[in-house]
Amino acid sequence: MTALSRTWDRLTLPGKALAILIPLLLALTIGLVVTLILFGPFLWQLILDNLEIVRFVLASAILLVIFIPIAFIVIYMEMKIIALMNLRIGPERVGPWGTLFSVVHGLKFLLKEDFIPTRADPIVFTWAPVVVFSTAALSALVLPFAPGLYGQDFNLALLYFFAVGGMTVVGLLMGGWASFNKYSLLGGLRSAAQIVSYEIPLTLSVVGLVILAGTLSLNTIVMQQGVSGWFVDWYAFRQPLGLLIFFLAATAEANRTPFDMTEADQEIVAGFATEYSGMRFAFFFFAEYVNVFIISAITVVLFLGGWQAPFPVPHFEIHVDPGQLGMGLLFLVALAPLVGTLLFAAPIYLLRSRTRWWVALIVGFVLFNVVVGGLAFLWAYVSIDWVAGLFWFVGKTFALIFVFVWMRGTLPRVRSDQLMAFAWKWLLPVALLNLFVTALAVIVLDVVQA
Amino acid sequence: MTTETPPRRFPVGTHPSADDPRILVHDDYEAFEPVPPYPPRTEREAEFYTLGEGELLLNVGPQHPSTHGVLRVVLKLEGERVVDIDPVLGYLHRGVEKLCENADYHQTISQVDPLEYISSLFCEWTPVLAYEKLLDVEVPRRAEYIRVLSAELNRIASHALFMGWFALDLGGLTPILYSFIERDEIVEMLAALTGQRMLFNYFRIGGVNGDLNHEFMSRLGDWMSRATTQIEANIGLLNENEILVRRAAGMGVMDAETALRWCMTGPNLRATGVPYDIRRAHPYSVYPELEFDIPTKTEGDSLARYLLRAEEIKQSLRIIDQCLERMPDGPIMAKLPRLLRPRPGRAWAAIEGPRGLYGVYAISDGTDQPFRLKIHDPSFLHLGAVGMLLPGNLLADTMAIMASLDPVMGGVDK
Repeated sequence: MTALSRTWDRLTLPGKALAILIPLLLALTIGLVVTLILFGPFLWQLILDNLEIVRFVLASAILLVIFIPIAFIVIYMEMKIIALMNLRIGPERVGPWGTLFSVVHGLKFLLKEDFIPTRADPIVFTWAPVVVFSTAALSALVLPFAPGLYGQDFNLALLYFFAVGGMTVVGLLMGGWASFNKYSLLGGLRSAAQIVSYEIPLTLSVVGLVILAGTLSLNTIVMQQGVSGWFVDWYAFRQPLGLLIFFLAATAEANRTPFDMTEADQEIVAGFATEYSGMRFAFFFFAEYVNVFIISAITVVLFLGGWQAPFPVPHFEIHVDPGQLGMGLLFLVALAPLVGTLLFAAPIYLLRSRTRWWVALIVGFVLFNVVVGGLAFLWAYVSIDWVAGLFWFVGKTFALIFVFVWMRGTLPRVRSDQLMAFAWKWLLPVALLNLFVTALAVIVLDVVQA
Repeated sequence: MTTETPPRRFPVGTHPSADDPRILVHDDYEAFEPVPPYPPRTEREAEFYTLGEGELLLNVGPQHPSTHGVLRVVLKLEGERVVDIDPVLGYLHRGVEKLCENADYHQTISQVDPLEYISSLFCEWTPVLAYEKLLDVEVPRRAEYIRVLSAELNRIASHALFMGWFALDLGGLTPILYSFIERDEIVEMLAALTGQRMLFNYFRIGGVNGDLNHEFMSRLGDWMSRATTQIEANIGLLNENEILVRRAAGMGVMDAETALRWCMTGPNLRATGVPYDIRRAHPYSVYPELEFDIPTKTEGDSLARYLLRAEEIKQSLRIIDQCLERMPDGPIMAKLPRLLRPRPGRAWAAIEGPRGLYGVYAISDGTDQPFRLKIHDPSFLHLGAVGMLLPGNLLADTMAIMASLDPVMGGVDK
């Protein structure tokens, strides 16, 4: 007993951690192996039987995780682009060109005090950011990112998207109500009024598209936009008015400038997020940028061809049989970086006399990697479907996000009554007109063809 | 986690102050309401803090992001519509007038500098002008021209800042940074002339502190060569913005009669159509020799006030051009004893600042300190009109209407 406790006392902190972790991991591994040996086939069968559920759980988990880095990227983009538009420099200290700035931002949120104001409703206050973030992330479950790369594909995907996306307002109202702050309350009520009003033109603007497509499945809608391989197939060219209404209404749905009344800091401080701090505030913050990503993504999916390339891309299969190369392949793989680095480094070292040999080697190695990475991407692009799809999808989405950021840097905010008047007096009638004209055109074409 | 709300720290009636009838806070719940913790002192206060059906009190400031300093306003809202307001002033009160009365005449200049910290030169100019009237001194012409030149530069800096803030209060992020470019260049060149960026402390009784120097002149020439195009571009950035124009037009409308009744001066009065400018109405310094127009608008709304200031920037540029052209040679200070003892008497001096009439009423009793110094500041009067302009507007417009009157809290609280 004494010997044991003396040994324990002599261990340093990492030593103590290892002394706890190693036996724990060993026990867990043994337990896992035993479970797999005993019930492995049964579990595998269980997974195969419930593949849809497993897929759903996995996809939700992956989406919840990948949206944090996506939010980081969008936040960094916004900071840098608005800084350039404002003739400022923007983040530049953390990481190259300030790229790690939002990571530090997130760490700062983690370290801040988790604060619940006096007389706030603790349960509703705690769950509001969870509701907001999870609805934002879950509505992305049906987005087709690339051929074969989607969470779920079912024939009510578009309806699901609007239904879950509309749940955000519940979270914002919860946050506004539970904070016990009048600014928060006003912000929550503003967001409720705004989102409920804009939900209607948002949904109506895509009904015309749905009539044309004949389906609510996002995957099928994307497929239909790539029939000829050229961008003229995109629904943006058959539903230009629908795209315009959808884009405006989606801007209001995501509370972005010029419709960002819910967090108008000149009027109601920070709206529903006034009393939040630490990680709870961070989740509101992330949810806002995730929403920007998602509305850009859904606009791309519905109107701008989703993962379809704007022009036909040659598709080849490069068949390489590694077995034929034998030992030669091994040597090639081992020597290629060395030879490549030397090849790229040699001209730099020889042509510039002031270059140190090790600088030349580093630059050569980086250049080699860039070239090989580019070649590998090209190969993957032409031969793997989803790489090409993801490339175009992400490219288009971030182009749209740039438009949102651009609007934020340029436009002032509209007033709440102007906002409502715009929704009910302009967007709604125009959306109805669009629907009417589309339906009429479909009927007339049917009659003509018949 | 329980579903109950947290227990009250002081259940109703048990707060230590419950027995004291003068203190209304019985409970920490009531402490969150912006109600003063004493019984109403006036009928007006009693009426304001009695809430009707569906009304709520919203405390704005003194740490609100856009109250332009430390102004505190209690708004009575019905939904988002403002019903009534109760401004609470005095967070920046220093007792400047009393400080000046207990120091000699020269020390007034550094005391009044931070009054309207955005346009310090005008705050200096007024008491200096009043003291010169008391002393009956002739200011050298070169000094007068330098005063006009630097003051007009300061006016441009102040108006440029106003235009940025106004757009920011309407939600535009970018214009403030563009207008800060202009302001920064002007402030830098004034720093080369006076030694300070913000509180210049430059005018002296009988002249100015330093002559024009090379750095100031080169910076000024450099800036003047591109000022017109740059300012035009900045104004175009906002004037052609549909959202801003639609919001600002018809916001906070005031007719000429009301404006005169509320003692409005400066751009806020001229935006209602009254061409009253002290530089022309009661000329001082060398303004009678200079050519410039007095722009007026007739709408009297926030957009008119904004556009008028844009016009005034252009007129100020004209004045600066003429000053540089006619700048005479000569001394920059009148010959005066070091310790000033004016004859017993009274003097009133008023000048046209970027916000309106800056006035000083000084009484001398023959000693080396002013007997009484009354500082008249336009910001205070303009802020008074807010109580008339705000009710009936939406919460979103309150800050923008306040910003369109361009008050500076240092001058309001003195």
